[in-house]
Amino acid sequence: MVLLALLLIPLAAGSLLLAMRPAAATARGLALTSTLFTLAITLWLWYAWDGVAVTALSHDWVPAWGMRFVLGYNGIGLLMLVLTAVLFPFVIGTGYKQPVGDAALVNALLLYCQAALFGVFMAQNAILFYIFFELSLIPIFFLLLRWGGMHKRAITIRFFLYTLMGGLALLFSIAYATLQTPAPHSADFSALAALQLPLATQQWLFWTMFLAFAIKMPIFPFHSWQPETYTMAPTQGTMVLSAIMGKMGIYGIVVFLYPIVPLGTAYWQDFVIAISLFGALYAAVIAFRQENFKRLVAYSSMSHLGLMAAALFTWNAYGIGGGLYQTFAHGVLMVCLFYIVGLMELRVGSNNFADMGGLKTRMPRFALLFMLIVGNAISMPLTQSFPGEWLMFNGLWQLNHWMALAGVVLIILGAIYMLFAFQRVLLGPDRDVAIADADGEEHFMLVPLIAIIFLVGVFPNLVLKLVDAPVQLLLNSIPPLP
Amino acid sequence: MSALILISVLGVVMLYMGIFSRKQVLAPVAILGLLAAIALFATGWHIPHHLLGGMLEFDGFATSFSIGMLVITALIFLFGPDYYERKEWHVAEQYALMLFSLVGGLLLASYSNLLMLFLGYEVLSIPLYVLAGGKKRSLRSNEASLKYFILGSFATAFMLMGITLLYSLTGSFDLGKLAEHMAAPGASGMVLNFGLFFVVVGLAFKVGAVPFHFWKPDVYQGSPTLVTTFMATVVMMGGIAGFFRFIDSTGMPDSLARSMVLLTLATLLVGNVSALRQTNFKRLMAYSSVSHSGFLLLALLTDSGLHEGHGSAVGGTLFYYTFTYSLATTGLFILFTIAKRANAGAEHNGIFKGLWQANPWLALCLLAMLLSLAGIPLTAGFIAKYQVFLLAISTGWLKVMGFGVLMALLGIYYYIMVAREAFLPAEGSGAFVVSRLNWVVITLCTIGVLAFGLWPGWLV
Repeated sequence: MVLLALLLIPLAAGSLLLAMRPAAATARGLALTSTLFTLAITLWLWYAWDGVAVTALSHDWVPAWGMRFVLGYNGIGLLMLVLTAVLFPFVIGTGYKQPVGDAALVNALLLYCQAALFGVFMAQNAILFYIFFELSLIPIFFLLLRWGGMHKRAITIRFFLYTLMGGLALLFSIAYATLQTPAPHSADFSALAALQLPLATQQWLFWTMFLAFAIKMPIFPFHSWQPETYTMAPTQGTMVLSAIMGKMGIYGIVVFLYPIVPLGTAYWQDFVIAISLFGALYAAVIAFRQENFKRLVAYSSMSHLGLMAAALFTWNAYGIGGGLYQTFAHGVLMVCLFYIVGLMELRVGSNNFADMGGLKTRMPRFALLFMLIVGNAISMPLTQSFPGEWLMFNGLWQLNHWMALAGVVLIILGAIYMLFAFQRVLLGPDRDVAIADADGEEHFMLVPLIAIIFLVGVFPNLVLKLVDAPVQLLLNSIPPLP
Repeated sequence: MSALILISVLGVVMLYMGIFSRKQVLAPVAILGLLAAIALFATGWHIPHHLLGGMLEFDGFATSFSIGMLVITALIFLFGPDYYERKEWHVAEQYALMLFSLVGGLLLASYSNLLMLFLGYEVLSIPLYVLAGGKKRSLRSNEASLKYFILGSFATAFMLMGITLLYSLTGSFDLGKLAEHMAAPGASGMVLNFGLFFVVVGLAFKVGAVPFHFWKPDVYQGSPTLVTTFMATVVMMGGIAGFFRFIDSTGMPDSLARSMVLLTLATLLVGNVSALRQTNFKRLMAYSSVSHSGFLLLALLTDSGLHEGHGSAVGGTLFYYTFTYSLATTGLFILFTIAKRANAGAEHNGIFKGLWQANPWLALCLLAMLLSLAGIPLTAGFIAKYQVFLLAISTGWLKVMGFGVLMALLGIYYYIMVAREAFLPAEGSGAFVVSRLNWVVITLCTIGVLAFGLWPGWLV
């Protein structure tokens, strides 16, 4: 029932907004209340977590094709639920200071998206997963298409087609895998995980599944939709895309690839790690060369995700645990960074570094907040990114020292481009312009986010306790590799 | 049988009523007749029976397709009073012709004899040639009628040729005899292959499979919208039902499979790629219906005949697919008519602009129905496509299926682009005028599409 409430609360609130079409302030208030409700629910679930996977709801839907409505979660799913629930109040809150348009409609779309995301992370049936996976795309699609920036039409369409292509390939794989289960067919994850497909099948099935997740994250070479889309999208849309929707890819890897095609995963492991790391380095270098703040953050997101994907494929507890932990850290970081981008855009009217710089004396409080967030972005100890980076680095080291070296280079490059961004925004000769410092509302957004950064940084076990048990279970359940 | 007679008589009654009474009473009477026919079919639901000395066979498949076609026709007739309000005076004839055509569709859904196939095919088609030219003074309408007639005659000739060749092999029009002949060892050869091929050509013409699709865009565009709706839905259902009955009894020998694969691939490719560039909504719907024919052919391709016991799954899928497709198409064409009126007769995709501001509910209906046609989850279109996926994978057509997946992607693109228009600010000054009856029909179609998507068990 609690899980159903997670689905229904945002859905109901969104529908209420559409039906009533209240004024902007009421609409935001209602949306915020709804997200706070769901936050309370997931925090309670997190508090009550005792390491045992939960299946709360199970109904037959279309038995003939193995479609069942099964909701549940294990630690990894719960981590994703918490991530979604923690970030959405901030996404909605962003709308107060940086509104994009018709508040009722925007917030309704965001809430629908949240419901679909909750569904993705709770679904225990592959077809149900796919349904939510696709549904989460539609509100974002309309958000981008309606309120995007330059060239919104072409960019949105490209984004949409890219992700749908992956989605359809995933659907194809699900249908194929379901038909391989003994009759009566079942598309439940537990049934699919029990499949032992021959290696030759797993080799291609791996790619038809992975394509969807590789595009969603995205990792090289499936990334070309990402920088444009993130740059063009309204801030709230970018936040959802980068902080949460990208994580569907990570989650998918853990839920689909490891259990269903373990041999295929092992077969392609080195290759995927190599392209992920290459993509991460490539994105880091490009990020350094950006003249546009938002685009820099977009590339930095891609770089981080590449490292996380590489860590997930290391096949050891450090790598997988670190990669999953980092999904949380990265989500919070992305919301922070894109909020700051939006904040600056509001003040100087563009995202170009050329219009910024020399503002530190004009906005000292903002400089401090930004510095703390940059500290997180470059994985300073005591911030939440540090344990994650350390675990991922460890995981890569166990597999291959050269890959670990690439990880270190990435961390260094990350420090370079983030500090560089900080410098271009705030430092330099004083610019004599009238510009407002971060005001109360913006503190109200950034201070809690920074509090989370340090809370999790000091007590990483808050997050790690969720992933430890399921990761061990995952590693134990995988048959020995040939 | 009684239902067939009822509808034929209903058509004649319509003609007489056209002479003696006002046009407002036509639609209610026709709809009552259709409801009675539905009731007749529903009472005989679980009793398979043969008629006319075994020339018609009313099994579960035939009954469900018949009811489906009757329901869709009733929905279209509900749209009739509003559509014909300011259009035509020969209204009774239009209803009557559609009813006659419907009888052809019912025959196609239930024949078990090649003679009945031909009869159903012609009874379905001939009224349509007239209906396509319903707008007497419109150049396009005349073009549509002529084009449809000439190409349709060719297709009929092909089909007759095929039937003749098959007859020469077995000495009987009976499909069962044909199946026996084909099951016998060493039963292949030029005559059989050409016979099968020609009949398939005729059927492919009716469902608009490439390369027999050239009539579709022009005829869809030229015909009065109500007739276009009828063609896109009931005629499609009839054509597919007829196709299935033929394939299901012959099975899928290699020679047939080869031509069917080519048909399927070409239909998927041409339908979707051509639809990408359409700016006229009716032409877009025409090409998209070609692409849907492609998916239906893909399902047909997996039917390996009665002896495999696979046919009922294919039949169920085809029914689900065509019925939900017809529901969405009916609703969309009604919305199209409303938008067309608001934009002084324009037919481009942009006429839906401003719908969201003017009437949010209808905009959501439009969105739901387009998403259903595109195959997005939680709508019936998704379940329909997924069933086709499952069939194709379970019978091993993996590569054709992969191609179908790519084409489905294109389909999503052009449907979404239309849906987008509805949420843009209005350009013209025209208002969307929605009669209460139209609102009800659109809502019914939308609810149907969503409900069957959520609970597909109702239809499967």
